[in-house]
Amino acid sequence: MHHQTLNQVIQSANSIILGKEQQIRLSLCCLLSGGHLLIEDIPGVGKTTLAHTLAKLMGLHYQRIQFTSDLLPADIIGATIYNPEEHQFSFHQGAIFNQMVLADEINRATPKAQSALLEAMEEQQVTVEGHTYPLPQPFFVIATQNPSHQLGTFPLPESQLDRFLMRIELGYPNHDAERELLSGTNRHKLIATLEAQLPTEKLLLVQQAAKEVHVSSALLDYVQALISFTRESDEYHTGLSPRAGLALLSAAKSWAYMQQRDAVIPEDVQAVLGPVAGHRLRAGHTNSENIVAPLLAQVAIP
Amino acid sequence: MEQIINQRTLIFLLSSIGLITLPHAFHVPVPIISFFFVLLIWRAIGIWRPAYLPNQFLVFLLLLSGIALLVIMHQGVFGRDAGTAIFVTALGLKLLEIKTQRDLYLITYLAFIVAASQFLYVQNILMAGYTLLVCISLLGTLLCINSGSLGNWQSLKVAGKLLAQALPLTIILFIFFPRLEAPHWSFLQEDNKAMTGLSDTLEPGSISQLGLSGERVFRAKFSGAIPPNEQRYWRGPVFSYTDGKKWEQTKNTYFKRYLDKIKFFGDAYQYKILMEPQSKNWVFALEMPAAFEWPLYENGHHQLLTSESPNKRAEYDISSYVNYNTGYITKTELSENLQLPKPPESRVKDLVKQLGGFTEKPETYINHLFLHFRQNKFYYTLMPPLMAENPIETFLFDTRAGFCGHYATAFVYLMRVARIPARVVSGYQGGEYNETGGFIEVRQANAHAWAEVWLSGKGWVRYDPTTAVAPERVEQDVNIEQQIANNVVSFAPVQLDSQTLFLLKRARNLWSSVDYSWQRWIVNYDRQNQASFLSKLGISGFKKMFYWLLGLLAAVIFVFALMLLRKQKTVLDVAQIYYLQACAKLAKLGLIRAENEGANDFLVRVTEQQPQVGLAFTQITRLYVSLRYTKEPAPECLDQLQTAVSGFHPKG
Repeated sequence: MHHQTLNQVIQSANSIILGKEQQIRLSLCCLLSGGHLLIEDIPGVGKTTLAHTLAKLMGLHYQRIQFTSDLLPADIIGATIYNPEEHQFSFHQGAIFNQMVLADEINRATPKAQSALLEAMEEQQVTVEGHTYPLPQPFFVIATQNPSHQLGTFPLPESQLDRFLMRIELGYPNHDAERELLSGTNRHKLIATLEAQLPTEKLLLVQQAAKEVHVSSALLDYVQALISFTRESDEYHTGLSPRAGLALLSAAKSWAYMQQRDAVIPEDVQAVLGPVAGHRLRAGHTNSENIVAPLLAQVAIP
Repeated sequence: MEQIINQRTLIFLLSSIGLITLPHAFHVPVPIISFFFVLLIWRAIGIWRPAYLPNQFLVFLLLLSGIALLVIMHQGVFGRDAGTAIFVTALGLKLLEIKTQRDLYLITYLAFIVAASQFLYVQNILMAGYTLLVCISLLGTLLCINSGSLGNWQSLKVAGKLLAQALPLTIILFIFFPRLEAPHWSFLQEDNKAMTGLSDTLEPGSISQLGLSGERVFRAKFSGAIPPNEQRYWRGPVFSYTDGKKWEQTKNTYFKRYLDKIKFFGDAYQYKILMEPQSKNWVFALEMPAAFEWPLYENGHHQLLTSESPNKRAEYDISSYVNYNTGYITKTELSENLQLPKPPESRVKDLVKQLGGFTEKPETYINHLFLHFRQNKFYYTLMPPLMAENPIETFLFDTRAGFCGHYATAFVYLMRVARIPARVVSGYQGGEYNETGGFIEVRQANAHAWAEVWLSGKGWVRYDPTTAVAPERVEQDVNIEQQIANNVVSFAPVQLDSQTLFLLKRARNLWSSVDYSWQRWIVNYDRQNQASFLSKLGISGFKKMFYWLLGLLAAVIFVFALMLLRKQKTVLDVAQIYYLQACAKLAKLGLIRAENEGANDFLVRVTEQQPQVGLAFTQITRLYVSLRYTKEPAPECLDQLQTAVSGFHPKG
């Protein structure tokens, strides 16, 4: 029954973002695993549209923060402001207090602003002047960034990239999709017509079900083989961290669940390996598929 | 205590031991082997009805009766037979007191000894194979005792694997381990066992018993030319003395000829003779042997003998010439070979006179005699009428039917009446050429007797009077199978038009050549053969051999250890083994699964390339994936997978 819902979500998203089914599935998989998503590509290929569509389909409170070089941490998390009428300070929640936050062009902001967001992502709470404010549940961040070689960017350090479960690229649409896009109606208007198909309580159920997908020891052998390859091979500077291993497993579970399986098989791991491991292995490069290609090719399935 | 030994293990153990002891039924006396099997069956009944098992007192009585049996049957504990019987009896008795796990081990080890003792009697390929198989079952028993979780088949499989792993070590030990000299073992061999062979006297009739035996006597492997059938006379004992019925060898067989050595003409035949175990130390060389080596020696009648014990297989290098001149005759020889039991009857003298024995040259006389045999309704039979008194006269004038022995003795007798020195030679004639093995195989059915006549200037010359009546006996290959099967003697040319007979012959030839190699290379691998084989490899001397032995053993163990270490990295589960088998079948069609290719991806690829195969492969993939990756695969999945894989025959 959940599977049907998931398929509807995917179909609806497909009708908005044309020809990008794989990316849509990966994004959904990332959200089902409770992870944050980083979309990296040049401007104008539909990063924001994808984030917006997903938020809308899940019926989540959605807020967009445009990251610029003058963005301050307080703009993101909020600030304590003196209220002259009540003669006391009160906390004004920042843009981050939403179920889904779209951090647009995250690498244009200063590291200070970036780390404010990334700390909140990790801890799922915000602490201001000694007070801790929990973030709403579920809490997703979809960040977009321009390729690092573009002007005026502050590339995210490895430690902060690690906070994102997946990094995906969208790429240009193919010929047919482009034609349909050019001849069709405005995407923003279409998004406005979308209805929430995966409400929060259902989403939580699906997340729970995905966590319960079985992982056999044979599969763990494969995951470990992949991880140790990245650590031992000359292909990569740094290997995958244990957190990366956990991330890979949790993404593979969600992927298996989306494929209507009750157990993870090596193909699931292979499907999510690029998005999960790419940005952790080589921060500077954009193409995740190329980065993990030797890993996929050289590690045998035990 | 009894409870810790489970039923399954006991059944396994008892059946293994039954199989181990079975071949001993041929060697161990019937009372002892019956005693053993009674105990075995008793114990087997005890598995289900423990109450029927004997108590300690009864076991003690059984022990006493076992000892009594041994004493009665063997009068002692020394020698091969007694030793084997002791082990068999002890094994049977021990079966009745299985109380702890330790007893099980003891019984198993005892059973290994009993299995090995079998080789003291029979060393052929079949028995070796059988013993190996029962050893697998015995090893399986040990596995069963040690790990109750293994199923019967699994135990046997693991045992087979263990044996296979032991094989390289076995081969190295076999080739390099110093051989013990036979004398150390000789106390285990019983010398007085009668083995069939030619007898050392000839009384026409004694060969008829051998006539239909297909038992092998020896094999001769020629390097170079192979003599034609009519030249294949394999020389055995020579009979000169007769009392009228029985022919015997003369006492002074071992005189040496100093003046005039035998002369040889033409080309020599080089060959190796592999003798089967014999009771006599005769070695049947092709007439006439010229060169041979110790332990062979030649007696005064040009017969080869061995100075070693003949009761085991032995191989000798000999060369022979079929054209020869034995030279002069000594005085003793002359008188011995003119000896007559009593003055001949007048009808005999008349016959000799009529054939020109007293007037003509010996050659002419012999021709006349041959003609006489041929024209006067003499015929060849292996079942001649009994000739108790005056057998030669009866044969010559009344029955006129007999086999080679009758013809040879009568011929020699008639020669001697005409004062021409003559003697009877026994041995084998012919032999079947085995194309597969490239050797001539001679069997008891080839036993033959012929005559030698001393002619001035020519020496001893062979005449085979049987050829006068049954030339096929010598010229053609005797079809032994047919004769043994039908119990009908006929020397008609071998009829190979029947396809089955042809195949039968082919199969027998093939088997015989395998057996020849087995005997030649395995059983006969004694100290001498070992030394010559190793020196061919450049290993000479005990020290060098020892270093090689240790070095190779260490190398094999090292390789195994490496393999074990490597294997620990990738422990395959059973489902994976089956799946990989299926993949191997697909690989033959060119559908090769990449190492990093998941099962489902592979299935998709297979289906794309060969939809039919993919259809069949779907179930295997489904079962494999569920067995390997799901939480609790259904227990029957593994069996289903096994059936699916074994029934999976993809065709491109």
